[in-house]
Amino acid sequence: MQLLTKNKLLTGIFAVLGVAGIAAWAYQLAGGLGVTGMSNANSWGLYIAMFMFFVGLSAGGLIVASSASVFHITEYKKVAMPAIILSTVCICCAGAFVLIDLGGIQRIWHLFASPNASSPLVWDICVITLYLFINVLYLHFMHKGAERAVSVLSRFALPTAVLVHSVTAWIFGLQIAKEGWFSAIMAPIFVASAMDSGLALLLIVLIVLNAAKLFETPKKLIASLAGLLATCIAIDGFLIFCEVITMAYPGAEGAATLAVMVSGPTAPFFWAEVVGGLLVPFLMLVFAKNRQNTALVTVASVLVVAGVLCKRLWLLLTAFVIPNIVGAPGIMSDAWMMGGSYAPTAIEFLIVLGVPSLGALAFMAIGSKLLVPAMAKEHAPARSSAAADLDLEAQVA
Amino acid sequence: MTKLGMAISLDRCIGCQTCANACKMQNSVPMGMQWNRVVTEGCDVMDDAHGTYPDLSRTYLPIACQHCENPACLKVCPTGATYKDDKGRVEIDYDNCIGCRMCMAACPYNARSFNWEDPVRDPDFKYGDKDVPVRTKGMVEKCTLCKERTDRDQEPMCVKCCPTKARVFGDLDDPKSAVSQLIREKRAGVLLEEKGTKPQVHYFD
Repeated sequence: MQLLTKNKLLTGIFAVLGVAGIAAWAYQLAGGLGVTGMSNANSWGLYIAMFMFFVGLSAGGLIVASSASVFHITEYKKVAMPAIILSTVCICCAGAFVLIDLGGIQRIWHLFASPNASSPLVWDICVITLYLFINVLYLHFMHKGAERAVSVLSRFALPTAVLVHSVTAWIFGLQIAKEGWFSAIMAPIFVASAMDSGLALLLIVLIVLNAAKLFETPKKLIASLAGLLATCIAIDGFLIFCEVITMAYPGAEGAATLAVMVSGPTAPFFWAEVVGGLLVPFLMLVFAKNRQNTALVTVASVLVVAGVLCKRLWLLLTAFVIPNIVGAPGIMSDAWMMGGSYAPTAIEFLIVLGVPSLGALAFMAIGSKLLVPAMAKEHAPARSSAAADLDLEAQVA
Repeated sequence: MTKLGMAISLDRCIGCQTCANACKMQNSVPMGMQWNRVVTEGCDVMDDAHGTYPDLSRTYLPIACQHCENPACLKVCPTGATYKDDKGRVEIDYDNCIGCRMCMAACPYNARSFNWEDPVRDPDFKYGDKDVPVRTKGMVEKCTLCKERTDRDQEPMCVKCCPTKARVFGDLDDPKSAVSQLIREKRAGVLLEEKGTKPQVHYFD
């Protein structure tokens, strides 16, 4: 528990936020989802946005770690351990948000007793469970130093990671009811933004661990990961542009939805992402010299993570702004109103802060168990890491 | 096979909301919720008019669950709580509903409502049909095509109570039924046809 005891202040803050989050959830269970800002008109809110966000954040870790084996990128292996711990914690946070969003969690056993195979939500629950299982198994094999098993597992881990993001995208992208979601590009966009936000979070964590002298990442590797991040940002930006131009060009229904995004209620999130989360960090990281500068990489990574959070919000909420039938019974808020609106409540904010705080505590606890000994081992014998890597490659081949 | 459905005359509808109230009474729909509603088309508030004076018009659209032949809500329901019954109605098994609200996101017609809190009934008792099940906090609900009444071979309450007889109910699979004939002769259309959900509620002028 070295990580937890060494940073008492941080541990304390996370613990307080975590307890507050749990208390808020208990309050929500007692009062119903009515304690949130959600309504029939805007039936999904912050929780589902955070679910998408954390599924995405989980990507970076597993993709970087498994690419190390699948594509023989030896240097990535060094950060595989923190990467997978991060990925495991984030996917648990994502799962927690789905459960928190359920209005009838006491009846959840029906999900296992009579699952509907055509529901994207069922697919997602299966894939996320599989993904979590692979993460835990990966940690287990790495901890035991079973290199062969890690390399075999990573061949399954990589496609599963891509699948997790695609299936999460299909929860939204397959809904013909929502103009803002119904698009084939949804899955690629989810994979791309999962890659950039996940990588950015991994970089932040590695830099923090470096600064705290708890886990050492070579500067060259940080620069290399930052280069990969720049590529992912570019791909994400390109896919968003494809979607936007397809919405705009016919000047029909899509254009009305686009107007909500670029100049309507969700516009602040859209522009914050496009400028702050894509353009600025890309311009920072596209120059090789900047990637050597840890401070700049940190700023760019924070911007990317914040940008993707904004993206989850505009992606989710834009679809609720214009109903297909104004005033339909499922959007009424009172007898005279024809529509509704959404603003999260304090309870939602407490829960949204609480879940990642518990996640951070979990990361610190697992990190103390798995990272600190790994560091100690690396420093003790005089065996060079390059030689060790060569050894591993020989085994894989 | 039976495929229960409805045809609604938009010409006859006068926007009196009697169907909306009849539905609420019959199905014990709690405060702040309606399964059925008469919307003033093209307006931000109820009973407004659209256009500029003196060229004004006001049209009404009664809307509830469309009991689609290809229901988007049914496909996405993770527990199978939403189902299509043998009479072609889209129904909810409330005890199976986990409150994920996937169906609400999937319904193009926004026909579904969620019990965000413990439902409040005013007057404070379970008014309505004795056979209608009570829904509780965390469950989704919507128009059942008056399942309890239609099971007893009665018309849905909105049909029975409409003062202008704008609504006609019957079996869409029977070409001789009044509703089938009307749909044929009046060339009735459906809402959001482009979504491909094939509603069993039809509208004509």
